[in-house]
Parts: sequence; structure tokens; C-alpha cells
Amino acid sequence: MSFSVKSEYAGKHILLTGGTGFVGKVWLVMALTRLPDIGRIYVLMRGKGRSVKDRWLKIVNENPAFRPLHEKHGAGLSKFIADRVEVIQGTLDSPNMSIEDSVADRLRDKVDLIVNCAGLVDFNPDVRVAVSSNLDGSMHVADFAASCKNAAMIHVSTCYVAGTRDGFISETIADTAPNGTPLDAEAEYKRLQEIIVETEAENESEETVKALTDEVVARVKKRGYEPTEKRVSGTVGRLKAKRLREVMSLAGMDRAKELGWPNTYTYTKALAEMLTKSRYPNLRHTVLRPAIVESAVDFPFPGWNEGFNTSGPLIYLASTWLRHIPAKPGNPLDIIPVDLVVNGIFVAGAAVMRGEHEEVYQTGSSDRATLTIDRLTELSALGNRQHLRKTGVNRVETLLLSRWDAVASDPEHMLNVSNIREVVFQVSRYLRHGRPEKIPSEWKEEAENMAKTADKAQRKLRQIEEVLELFMPFTYDHYMVFEARALDKHQVDEPEFRFRPEDINWRKYWLECHMPGLRRWCFPKQYENKETEIYTPKVPFVMLEDGAAAAPNPQEAR
Amino acid sequence: MSESKTAAFFRAEGTLIKSGVLQAAAYMASQRAGMRERLLRFGQTALAAPIFGVLGQNDRTLGNRIAHLSYRDITDDRVAILAEEYVEDILKEKILDSGLELMKQAKKDGHRIVVISEGISEIMEGLLPHLRHVDELICNRLEYKDRKATGTLLDPIVGGYDGGTWLKEYARKHELDLERSVAFAGHGPDLLLLSSVGKPCAVNPDFTLRKAAKEADWPVMEYTA
Repeated sequence: MSFSVKSEYAGKHILLTGGTGFVGKVWLVMALTRLPDIGRIYVLMRGKGRSVKDRWLKIVNENPAFRPLHEKHGAGLSKFIADRVEVIQGTLDSPNMSIEDSVADRLRDKVDLIVNCAGLVDFNPDVRVAVSSNLDGSMHVADFAASCKNAAMIHVSTCYVAGTRDGFISETIADTAPNGTPLDAEAEYKRLQEIIVETEAENESEETVKALTDEVVARVKKRGYEPTEKRVSGTVGRLKAKRLREVMSLAGMDRAKELGWPNTYTYTKALAEMLTKSRYPNLRHTVLRPAIVESAVDFPFPGWNEGFNTSGPLIYLASTWLRHIPAKPGNPLDIIPVDLVVNGIFVAGAAVMRGEHEEVYQTGSSDRATLTIDRLTELSALGNRQHLRKTGVNRVETLLLSRWDAVASDPEHMLNVSNIREVVFQVSRYLRHGRPEKIPSEWKEEAENMAKTADKAQRKLRQIEEVLELFMPFTYDHYMVFEARALDKHQVDEPEFRFRPEDINWRKYWLECHMPGLRRWCFPKQYENKETEIYTPKVPFVMLEDGAAAAPNPQEAR
Repeated sequence: MSESKTAAFFRAEGTLIKSGVLQAAAYMASQRAGMRERLLRFGQTALAAPIFGVLGQNDRTLGNRIAHLSYRDITDDRVAILAEEYVEDILKEKILDSGLELMKQAKKDGHRIVVISEGISEIMEGLLPHLRHVDELICNRLEYKDRKATGTLLDPIVGGYDGGTWLKEYARKHELDLERSVAFAGHGPDLLLLSSVGKPCAVNPDFTLRKAAKEADWPVMEYTA
């Protein structure tokens, strides 16, 4: 049966979590742009060191995703947003999401749909943080949804909850771990909490404290100081905290790998899906799993991207002299533009409000418009070629580096990042310790400078190596095709809300949209030590009380 | 009774552009990913040069087939990007203004402008905006399997000796009056093309065509720019 997304959302009140993230912001801006009759949108936010109001103002006034809204409404944007959006202070890691009681009661009465886009997208985090964000947080949102009068819920997860399963991944919630072990989600949740307690206890154990103390005492003595109680205990405390973060990260990763997930992120996201399903059988809810969310193909504007993303490091690597990208030719890398994912959220959201939803909706491209890792590597090489030919700063870049094509290759290739890093390390060591003693002092100085440069390069190579290792399950180890058909069960009247990955022209998208987008919005901060470009509207957005106050005078605002 | 339509056929290589397929294939070969691949494909292209030298004035089909073998395993993405580069950096500069003038005049005279080229579609389609007056392009097409070129040209191959046969079919399909149509070409294998129209003209002809043009009393034009 077909429906109109606009009609389904008309007058409906939505609670949005994760509204400040990449997907959440695009959802919010698209809702405000394409659904003019939507009811009220409640955006749950943390202040992050400032008031929620200040953070919201900063986001709307500086984040480029809001550009279409500023351009469309100009001075009227403040009133437009005040009429439709209410920012709610809260955090997912506490029951009731720490929402003030009176506000929570009001929301329970009004909200029709909860869109939960929140989550920690760090592959290898401290397991406490992962549990708090991805598991406790999801349960708190579901608890809240269940306590509402008439709210349905859409939980945004990830296709990669499939873990290390190979082949065709269907749109269902599995009841086994990827390694085939039957999994009781409740028991596993408890096990994770036990792991956290055990790891904390281990970090506080006498043995650990003694080992750290001995290490600190030895270090202090080596530096020629007296190992006083004060000096030692402070350092031991800091080392203990640092060690705890490291072992917590390892503990999560170890458990994830034991069960067949490649990292803590996908493991905790999978558990959240299972727990929501088992704990809330009567809650109208669905799961939307995006694959690798990347630059917008069209909305809010072509190429929009922000933050850390999966293809960024690969594309960046392809632009350097390191041309061997560890990737298995023929393996799909399931890239999906953020605006297509958001389309999927709107359609799935409408379906769940109507009670016609499926258990899971996957929004990926591998099933309908496969982009293989080798094609992606070549497109990245060609994109860098085009870019360097135009903008290379010297002939080495315009003539040589531009033609230094990246290729998908075996991780064990002789010229892999690890081997190159080892060579750089040996060069640095030779320049410091292996050079002849009797050389002029200027040469010594020069050698020292070169060694410093080599050290820097080595650190950067190590970072790249770590990122590549994180992505290996997706680029090399596993062949996964994510089914993406459930959304097709809902015929949508408006073409702009349809999920149609088959319409993507990958070459055009990669070269004209995604790569320029990454260069503009992501690389400056991630790799170039620069600030990300911010948007400056002609008329700044100001907070009004429910649209009651007048719009600001554009002249004054300027 | 309305007057039937006419066309002006331009063989691109030698008439509109100075450069031929060998240069294009060599450029593509030299821009493959990886040194080994570049050397191998460049070598393959070089093999085609003597074939064109020996047989080029009679039938260029074999030369074309060998030259395009060097495209084997190149992806459609790379061909598209390199073709764009080749047109912008090299081919655009090789356009012969005198040829453009001829085309402009033919257009003014009411002819349908048909450009026939041995070049591959990815390159020639990119060149079209620079040639301006073209109504139709007939050129060679690479065969692709799984997004990779097989190194084979799809039939019919432009540049062979059967251009005249093809032309008659084309004229029938488009209801063209060949007797009042014109053709400009410069290679021996274009003899049938030129002899099929009422107003042929040899442009910068090679030895075979020059001889034939003299015997048939066709006009001969020479220009280098």
C-alpha cells in the first residue's frame, strides 16, 4: 500500500536523539525542509561544556548542514525553527534520559515517534563508554518510548552488526553471535557488565599497583630524583587511569572477537538490537541499519560530510606515495550517501507509525548498486589525479604524484604501510646512532633534522596503519552483501523520499561529490591540522520563545 | 515534391584533427596504473605502428585492432577520465581550423554533418563540443566485460575498407541523397566512402588516395592548420 511521507508526518511530534550527529543533523534539516507540516520536533541534546541553548545556537549558525534552511528562510528562520523545534536537555546514559520530569511527562503525552540516531561510532572504544552509549543509552530510549502514550520508535543501528558473517546478510535480527554461538542478549549484557567490574578490579589489584609503582620508581630514579611517596603516587594514579582505559578497550575488543564481531562498536550495536527486541515485544519499533554512511549525494547539498568516516583514510592514503591499499578485489564496500539513509529513516518511521513496519530495514548499496573495493580504490586514485593535476603545488605533485596510482593489493605486499614504516624507523635509527662519528657538525645537525622528520613520518604511518587494521574486516577479510529490499515494501508517493541506491552513478558521485566533499569538510581537521570551514549565515539564527517573539531585524543582525 | 536531404561526411583523422588513434592509444597506455602495466601496454601500442605503416593505406582494420589491444583490462572509469584529459590536454590543440571552416561551410550549405572517426567513443564524444557543428558521430567502440575493456573493438570497425558499404546503408536509413552529398577524407581506405558521394574531396591525402584522386579527378586540399 502506498503512502505519502508528508501526510504521515503532518502534525506528528517527533523526539530525536543524536540530532547533533552526522545522520541526525541531516534528518533534522530534511524534516524542516521537506516536511513543512510536521508537528513539533524535540531534539535531545547534551550541553557538552556549555548550555544546551548555546550549543544549539552554535550548531544552527555554524554547521553547513543548516545552509539550505538559512538560504530558504533568511531572517525568518528563527521563527520558523521556534515554531517547530524544541531543544531538550538530556543525556542517554541515565534513566529517563535525564530529562526534567515535567518535560518528560509532556513528551510522554505528545510524542508519536522517537528517532534514535544516537550512538558511539568509535570502533575500538573503552568498553564502559561503548556500553553506556550503545547499550544503556538504547535501553533508556526504548524504556522511554515504552512509557509514552502512543510513541513508536525507530532505532538506527548499523549493517555491520552482521560481524564476521560472510555472504548475503538478510534484514532480520539474528539470535546467534556471528561465530554461530546461540546468544542470550540479557546474559551477554550481564557478562559485559561483569567484564567491566572484573577489569576495574584487576586494575586495582595489588599486583598491578605494585608493577606500576616499581615502574615509576625505576623511572624516577633513572632521572636522578628521589622517589618520594608524593611523586610516585601521583604518577601511579595517572598511569593506572591510562592503563584502565587501555585494558577496557582491549576487554571489549576481546569479547567482541571471541563472539565473531570485528570490534566493540558492532558488538554493542548488535546487542542493543537484540535487547530491544526481547525486552519490548509490545513496543512498536523497528531497526534501521545503514551501511557505511558517506557524503550526501544531494541533500543538504552534494558532498556534505563531517567527522570521521570509513572511506576518508583510504582516499587520503591513495593521495600519498603509499599506493598499496590493503583490499581484496571484488569485495563490496557498502557505501551509502547520508541523504539516502535519511530517506530510509523517514519511510521506515512512517511505516512504524502506521504499524506496517518490518523488523529491520537495511540501507546499503551492495545489494542493488555494488561498489567494489577495487573500483573504489581506482576511483580514488583517479580523483586524486584530477585534483593534483589542477592544484598540485609543484611539478612533483602535478606530474608524478598525480600519476602514482593507488591499487588494491594484498595486506602482505612488500610495500605495505607496515614495511614502509619499518624502513623509515631504520633510517631514523641510522641517522641517530649508526652514522659515522667523524663527520662535520653541520652534517650531524642535518642528520638530526632528517631523523626528526623520519620520526614524524613514522608516527603518521603508524596512525594510518592502525586505521587500516580497523577497516580490514570490511576491506579485505569478509565478503558481505547487505540485503536492502524491506524499504521497497512501502510505496512512497514523493520521489524525493525514495530509497534508490541504484540511481547512484558511482563515478560521478565519487569524483564530483564525495572526494571534493571530504577534502573540504573532513580532511582539514583530520589530516591537515586545520579548522573545519564553518558556515556564516547572512542573518544569524536566534532563539525565540515558541515563535512568539518577532524575527530579528536583518540590518541589526548584520 | 520536397528535396531529399544531403550530408557532409568528414573523416576526422587528417581532416579535422592532426592526431590519430595511435597517439590516443599510446597516451592511454602510458597512464595505466602501475609501471609494469604501462610498459606492457605501451609496447603493445608500439606494435601497431608498423602495421599502420605497411597496411594503413589500404585497410586500417588490423592496425586498429592491434592498437586497441593495449586497452585490454583498463576500466571504464579510467578510460573516461583519461579520455577527458586527453581531449583537454592534447587533442583539442590538434584540431585543424581549416577542417572546422569546411564543416561550417557544409553546415551553411544545408548538409547534415557526419563525423567518422577511428577514435574510440569516449574520446571522440569529448571532442564533439570543440568541433561544434556535428550532427552525428560514427566512431569505434570498445567492448567491455565487467567494467573492463577486453581490448576488442565492436563491429563495425571504422577505418576498414568497407566504409562505402556502410555508407549506403546509412544513406538509405536517413533518406540521404548521396549524389548531392559531400565527403572529405585523407586515407586510402576511405576511397569507397569518397566514391560513394557525388562531391568527394581528398584532404591531405596519403599516397594511395592521392593517386586515386588524381585518376578520378577529385579535388585535393592540403592544409596543416
